[in-house]
Amino acid sequence: MKVPLSWLREYVRTDATAEEIAHRLSISTAEVNGIERRGVTSDLSLFRVGQVLDAGKHPNADRLQLTKVDVGEDRPYQIVCGAWNFSAGAKVAVALPGATLPNGLTLERRKLRGEVSEGMILAEDEVDLGTDHEGIMVLADSLEPGTPLSEVLPLVEDVLDIEATGNRPDLFSIYGLAREVAALFDGELVPLDATEPPRGGDEPVDVQVDDPVGAPRYVGRLFRDVTIAPSPVWLKARLRNSGVRAISNVVDVTNYVMLALGNPLHVFDHDTLHGGRIVVRRAASGETLRTLDGTMRELTPADLVIADADRAVALAGIMGGEETEVSDATTNVLLEAANFEPVTILRSSERLSLRTEGSNRWEKGVDPHLAGPAATLATRLIVDLAGARWTGAVDVQAELPQPAVIELRPERTNAVLGLDVPPDEQAAVLGKLGFDRANGGFRVPSWRARDVTREIDLVEEVGRFELERIPFTLPERDVSFGRLTRWQRLRRVVEDVLVGCGYYEAYTPSFAADGDVRLPEPLSSEAAALRTGLIDGLVGAARANVAVGTSGVALFEIARVYRAGGELPNERWHIGGIVEGGFADAKWAVEQLYEALKIDATYDRASEPVLHPGKAARTAHGWLGELHPRVLEGTWGAFELDLDALIDASPETIAYAEVSPYPEVRQDLAFVVDEDVPAAALVDAIREAAGAALHHIEPFDEYRGEQIGAGRRSLAFRVGFGSNERTLTDEEASELRARIVSALGERFGAELRG
Amino acid sequence: MDTVERPLDWDPDTYERDALEALEGASTSEEVESVSVAYLGRSSPLKLHLREVRDRETGMKLNAIREAVERAVAAKKEQVEAAELEHKLSTERVDVTLPARMLGDVEPRPRGALHPSTLVRRDVEDIFLGLGYEIVDGREVETTRYNFDALGFPDWHPSRSPRSTLYVGDQTVLRTETSPAQIHKMEATRPPIYIISIGRVYRRDTIDATHFPIFHQFEGLAIDKGITMADLKGTLLYVMRQLYGPDRDVRFRTHYFPFTEPSMEPDVSCFNCGGAGCPVCKHSGWIEMGGSGMVDPYLYEFVGWGPEEYTGFAFGMGIERTAQLRYGIPGIRPFWDNDIRFLRQFG
Repeated sequence: MKVPLSWLREYVRTDATAEEIAHRLSISTAEVNGIERRGVTSDLSLFRVGQVLDAGKHPNADRLQLTKVDVGEDRPYQIVCGAWNFSAGAKVAVALPGATLPNGLTLERRKLRGEVSEGMILAEDEVDLGTDHEGIMVLADSLEPGTPLSEVLPLVEDVLDIEATGNRPDLFSIYGLAREVAALFDGELVPLDATEPPRGGDEPVDVQVDDPVGAPRYVGRLFRDVTIAPSPVWLKARLRNSGVRAISNVVDVTNYVMLALGNPLHVFDHDTLHGGRIVVRRAASGETLRTLDGTMRELTPADLVIADADRAVALAGIMGGEETEVSDATTNVLLEAANFEPVTILRSSERLSLRTEGSNRWEKGVDPHLAGPAATLATRLIVDLAGARWTGAVDVQAELPQPAVIELRPERTNAVLGLDVPPDEQAAVLGKLGFDRANGGFRVPSWRARDVTREIDLVEEVGRFELERIPFTLPERDVSFGRLTRWQRLRRVVEDVLVGCGYYEAYTPSFAADGDVRLPEPLSSEAAALRTGLIDGLVGAARANVAVGTSGVALFEIARVYRAGGELPNERWHIGGIVEGGFADAKWAVEQLYEALKIDATYDRASEPVLHPGKAARTAHGWLGELHPRVLEGTWGAFELDLDALIDASPETIAYAEVSPYPEVRQDLAFVVDEDVPAAALVDAIREAAGAALHHIEPFDEYRGEQIGAGRRSLAFRVGFGSNERTLTDEEASELRARIVSALGERFGAELRG
Repeated sequence: MDTVERPLDWDPDTYERDALEALEGASTSEEVESVSVAYLGRSSPLKLHLREVRDRETGMKLNAIREAVERAVAAKKEQVEAAELEHKLSTERVDVTLPARMLGDVEPRPRGALHPSTLVRRDVEDIFLGLGYEIVDGREVETTRYNFDALGFPDWHPSRSPRSTLYVGDQTVLRTETSPAQIHKMEATRPPIYIISIGRVYRRDTIDATHFPIFHQFEGLAIDKGITMADLKGTLLYVMRQLYGPDRDVRFRTHYFPFTEPSMEPDVSCFNCGGAGCPVCKHSGWIEMGGSGMVDPYLYEFVGWGPEEYTGFAFGMGIERTAQLRYGIPGIRPFWDNDIRFLRQFG
């Protein structure tokens, strides 16, 4: 909300500067995003009230006037002016040579069509007070020439940009903010003027509220002989500085009162109301209303409307109807100062995607006691500004809520805040905010009835005032338990292993075009479900890197995948990787992972939709292989493993095995076997055959060739035999070797190569 | 010359049927190609007839046949080529049980890097481990009971709207904050509770420079006997100095959140300008860090404890935002683009 400081100061007397007010409001009430200094920023003494002594046509220009103006100096100033809405004797606003206007133009004494012009007679747009450039501002006759213009018009304005939270509807008004400023600075809050202007007639106002839940209160007031005209400059300036467009005096009054007090108002052209009556009810199914923005709205029985005898004429609290709008021709006006139930307004405004200054306040819950003061202020302004006669009033009320009384234990406040605030200081803070002592507690003021309902809410009131005094401490602990879980430690291991293998970590979205868990209202068709694997995201990331010219891409991701479960989906952590290279590169990384997690891996030939059919494998925890060329152009390795399963499989303790002090007997053995015998099967068989004496085995060579024969290959293994008690003899080693050769021959038809 | 080859008793429907049949019989890409040439080629009967066509009706019919056969050829070609590729690939078999180093040249790669969000996550974990906190992470798909009801969101609260939140079912959502994990912890154990929950959260946001529907949060919860707002202030001061440097000041502004009372937002003095005002802090000297407050007594009742047995505080901040501020990363998109030129700048 944009808050002109001069307006705020009308309601609160304090010496605090704009900066001080902004700071304390930010800490204790609502964040102030900034202070904007608007209007004239140059020497204010050059802006004065002038009296036109003489005005006539410029001798050399038909459209210009040549004037002599008394600006409080010993001689009149000659000023050329383009406006004609004044004549000799008028009091006008003058900027003298040297003055800089808000648009940056600095005035100079210069000739215009041959006549010297010493300054400018101002229109409101030239000093940022409005948008009107039809004519110059004509000021009150009572003013003395030479009076500083800044005493008469708000030439300079500090505008605070305040962002209140949704639980504080009272802060969406200048008066509500003034109340806070008064409390924060121990200033005086100026009481609202409750005087009603005199009545100019006595007419009934026909208001019927069919839905007192939706509209707990409806104040209607009738005005006759209304003259619709532009608002005076001071009012236009306030609206303009508050970010609201001026329209006409009566409409501007409704906006002005809404900004001032926080109660949105509406005005109807009374002559357009069928039967001259107001009925507050829910809309009929299929009922329509053309709102002020020109849109035809189809309504539902959930929408609260203001109707006349026959039809809806306004969407309650959100927007008026076009047909009953106040226009330049309006002479009879019905003012609405109502109270609407917040959730009704919120729902209608959401359904219609129609948010207005009004709905924004109603949906937060406006104090129903505010309708009276709002009606009074609006009435005074309409009578003053539009020359209207106030001829009728009605106030239809449901039973309005009574103020609650809440107990506060001062020691409870201190226990929550960690600051000792004496009981009378706590009461003083609350008193300044309108919480008066009442039978052992504090009576909640009507404007806080929604957000203060419990003792802890009173504690917060004290706390926010003392926020800067609360010290910085750390909790006193009896026990401490700061340690990563095993899962968390091993996740770090996995991350570090892959980074060490040259992989960069990717984060890709959790969504996929298809999956077990579909979203009823997805963000897009490509994100219609929760993903069941990570590879698609990684392929996308790899492709994007290739597209920008990066080579040697290697990426991994650790994230959840989602499968159908019971009430809630089954979420599991996966680890996926993609690497430019091929099967060997993928397997290298997977081997490092298994090694780091101390898990023995077995690799079985497999088929996966995304993988090359001849270069695909599964382990107990997932798959790895070369990407199928149709998935991604080029040669890529990829893997995806179930991280939860991996971590479960990782041994919790490490069982130490004694290291032999004696050297191993090393031998190389090469066997010729059929192509379809996997190397791992031979390794297993060698282990089995040699037993505990086999301390080491690794395949180290694979060979195919003519002397081996088609469909067969030679596989060479390096083995190490040993004992923890002694060095094995050559005989023992030969014996072990013979057992291996015989076992492999029997099981696989393997022949030992010379 | 061509006219000789144009049979007079040519029947377009039979021609189409013949073409599709011939295509059906093709099993290699060469065969598909020869069918294509025979029925669609320059000197195919169809093309010859098309050249002779004088009336609109026949022209449309023949063109329809041409298109149908072309479509069939293209589909068959794709199918046959896929099968051929599959066959070729199946002959390229490797022994998957061999060690990687025997399966090809595994080029040693220079070290990769962790994502900046992971770096921040680890830092946050370490800072809070040092303060004696546990790290937890709950589910991402949560019930509305834990995501909203437990946290004091009234029925009409806008956050519950499918316009703000991604629903998975009537009563299940992709969590909008990690707090549900904290409620589960409270249900599972009695205080002292000192936990940080870290993980993915989801909002229905349109993707732009500063918004992405997924981001990561870290949220803290401390519940014990005698915890105060002063403890919250002190904890966050410590944490912010750990994250952003020892010279940082922290200030607190009153705020409103459904699940804390009193609530406040912590700001850190701008580490770019030191508080004088600059674009990083939008000329305020302070940078907003997230939300915090004292645990609302409602929560104690929700998990079945007495309202005043314990007091506690809670706070929440964004991982990406923390990374943005620490590393000066503008916008949110780089976090999801996974461009290695970006990633390699981090650890």
